[in-house]
Parts: sequence; C-alpha cells; structure tokens
Amino acid sequence: MLNQDHPDDERLSALASLETDATSDATLTAHVSSCDRCTDLTSELGALRLALADLPDMKPSRPLQLLPPVESHGSRVDRVGDWARRFFAPVLAAGAAVAMVGVVGTAAPALDQLASGPSADRAATEEVAAPQASAGAGSEAGGEPAGLSASADTLGSTGGSVTGESDDAADASPRVNDYGTAADSQRDALGEGMDEAETSQQAASERSPWPMVLFTGVALMVGAVLLRWILAPRVA
Amino acid sequence: MADAPEKTPAPRTPPLPDEAAVITRAASGDRRAFAQLMEHYQSACYGLAWRLLRDPDQAADATQDAFIHAYRAIGSYRGGIFRSWLLRITANASYDILRRAQRRPSSPLPDPEEGAPELPDAGAVNPVAEAARSEMYRHLEVALRRLPEDQRVAVVLCDVYGMDYNEVATMTHSALGTVKSRIHRGRLRLRELLTEHRELFTA
Repeated sequence: MLNQDHPDDERLSALASLETDATSDATLTAHVSSCDRCTDLTSELGALRLALADLPDMKPSRPLQLLPPVESHGSRVDRVGDWARRFFAPVLAAGAAVAMVGVVGTAAPALDQLASGPSADRAATEEVAAPQASAGAGSEAGGEPAGLSASADTLGSTGGSVTGESDDAADASPRVNDYGTAADSQRDALGEGMDEAETSQQAASERSPWPMVLFTGVALMVGAVLLRWILAPRVA
Repeated sequence: MADAPEKTPAPRTPPLPDEAAVITRAASGDRRAFAQLMEHYQSACYGLAWRLLRDPDQAADATQDAFIHAYRAIGSYRGGIFRSWLLRITANASYDILRRAQRRPSSPLPDPEEGAPELPDAGAVNPVAEAARSEMYRHLEVALRRLPEDQRVAVVLCDVYGMDYNEVATMTHSALGTVKSRIHRGRLRLRELLTEHRELFTA
C-alpha cells in the first residue's frame, strides 16, 4: 500500500532506534506497517545502526604511553626545586614590580627638575640679577649723576680743575666699589644659599628610599632566576 | 514494521577475563594492573578518538590524555562496565580537543577518503564475507567523516559507541532535543551518502 502522507523521516529514525515516544505512537507504527516506502526507510536506518554499532576498534597510529610518569615524592632537592619552580613566576613578577616602583621613585625628582628646568633657571637668574639691578639703579640715581653734577659744578664755578674732577671721580669710585662689593657679597650669599640647597638636595637623595627599592626589586628578580636555574630539576 | 536493532551495540573489545580483579588492583595503586587495562582497551579508545577527531595525531593525543585522566580517576571508579567508563573519559578528552580546535582559525578538512587507519583483520573465516564486511566498514568510515561535525559527534557517540541521548547531551553541552535531532539527521545523511552501497547494509 502506498501512503503519500508520510511521517517525518526523523520520526522514522526514532522508530528505528526504538525510542519510546515513537514506538508508542500508534499512528506512526500503523503508517509504517502499511507503507512500503516508510518500511524500507525504517529498515535501512535500522540496518545502518547495526552496521555502525559493529564498527571495529582501531590500532593507535603510534605507541601510546599506558601509564603517566611516576610522580616524584623523593629527595629534598627535588622538593626545593619544585618549590622554586612554583614560586619562580610570582617572585619574578613581584621583583619586576618593585624594581619598576624603584625606577619611577628614583627618576621622579630628576624628571621634575627636568620638567621645571627652564623656569627654575630663569627664577634663579632673576634672583641673582635682582640685587645687581638694584645696585645699578642705586648708582644711577645717587652716585654717578651726583658725581657728574659735582664735576659740572666744579667746572662751572672754578673754570675746571682736572684734579677736582679727578678727586670727585676718586670720591665717586669708592662708592662704585662699595656697590660692587655689595653685589659680590650678595652673590656670595646666593652662592652659599645654592650650596646649601645642593647639599640639602644631596642629603635628601641620600635619605631617599627609592634606590633601595630599586635594588631590592632587581635583587628579587636575580634571586628568583638563580634559584630557578640552580634548584629546579631538569625536565627532559 | 521494520527490523528493530538492539539498543546496545556488542562490545568490540571483550572485557578481560579477570577484569574486576585487575580493576581493583589498579584502583589500589597497582600501576602494572592499570597498564594492563589500558593496553587492553587502547584500540577502543583510539577508535573513538579517531572517529571524533578525524586526525591520527590528535586521536593519539586524546587517547593519551584519557589514560592520564583515567589514572587519576580510577580510585573513584564505582563499578559498571569499565569499557564504557573509559570510553566516556576518552570522548570527553576528544571533545575538549575538538572544542579547542574550533576556537582556532579553521583549517581545511581532511579528505574523507584519506587518513583512515587500517582496520584490524577480524580473523577471516569466510574470505568473501569478510571482504564485504571490510568494504562496508570502509564506506561507513568515509561517510561518517563526511557528516557535519555536530551530527558526526552525536552519531559516533550514540550509534557507534552506544551512549544514550542524555550522556551525549551532557558531553556535548547540548539540549536533549538537539542531540536527538542531530542523530536522526546524521543517520538520514549517512543513508544518502551510502545510497550507492546500499546492498552492503541490507544484505
């Protein structure tokens, strides 16, 4: 008998696998028993299943290791090596991190100085120049003009005495020297201040913990590598 | 109605004569007993891995992984058919490799006609019948390799190695209905692929 209203092929496959929902489906089993096409298909799928289930085993393509390698519980050196291997990466990472912090900490003041360099130099120059400028201004305002006016007065009144002029000039010169001495002393004071600053900076850098941090980080890294290399068991 | 097949396929590698005793010894740490079990079942495990992975090297790797897993887990083995237990471990190891391979950029699929290992000689009593069987196996293997991966995995686990739908669903992280559908579609596709050799299966 030929029935064109066939069930879905997947249902026939389910029937071929004896799935309960398919075998208990009366409509499906009734159709299959009365339909040549579905009977053949179900039969073929069943035969295919049998053939698949009969496929033989296969020899491995290469010899297989039947047992995992024996785990070593042995010597103390092995255990230390094991320990070294386990902690190698974390210690190396920690060392690298500490060293990085050390590098940043050590380099930060120098970088600051570099970043603020031109303005700081300018400020220092201004600081040095300021007393000189005030000294110069003082000499312009009260020194040389007074001397010049004095010499002019002397020329005007006495018909010009070179000695008087020179005397005045000689009188004026100690004043200039005075200003020069003041500038020198200010410069000296500034120099001393700068020396003090350098000294304090040097002392601060000597007190700074960053080089030590950097050294600790590098030491950790080197230590980890050495421990790993010396103690870790050589694995083939 | 159609000739309904048996649900559980006949084991191809028969159990060891004193298997229970060997398993007990292996579970208590006897490495030689464990090696004996693995040697006995290595062809079964490798066959499953090869059918899932379609690559001899990967199949050997998966089998090796399965042995290591089995070695670690044999202490917790609680009876049942040892072959099925070991095959489940192998299927999991193979499926892990398959999933890792899926994450990598795709490589061209191997030619289904090539790379199939030699099937063992079944000990021919009737040379003609054995030749026909060998021919059937060869065509089946080629057709299996041509299935889409999801259908192949489901058909191999269920129809070739007799795992039930729930086991396959758990192993492949798929819904039960999806697994059933894959198996049925896989079988129908296999039937199409084997149309020219139908006489080998219906004889």
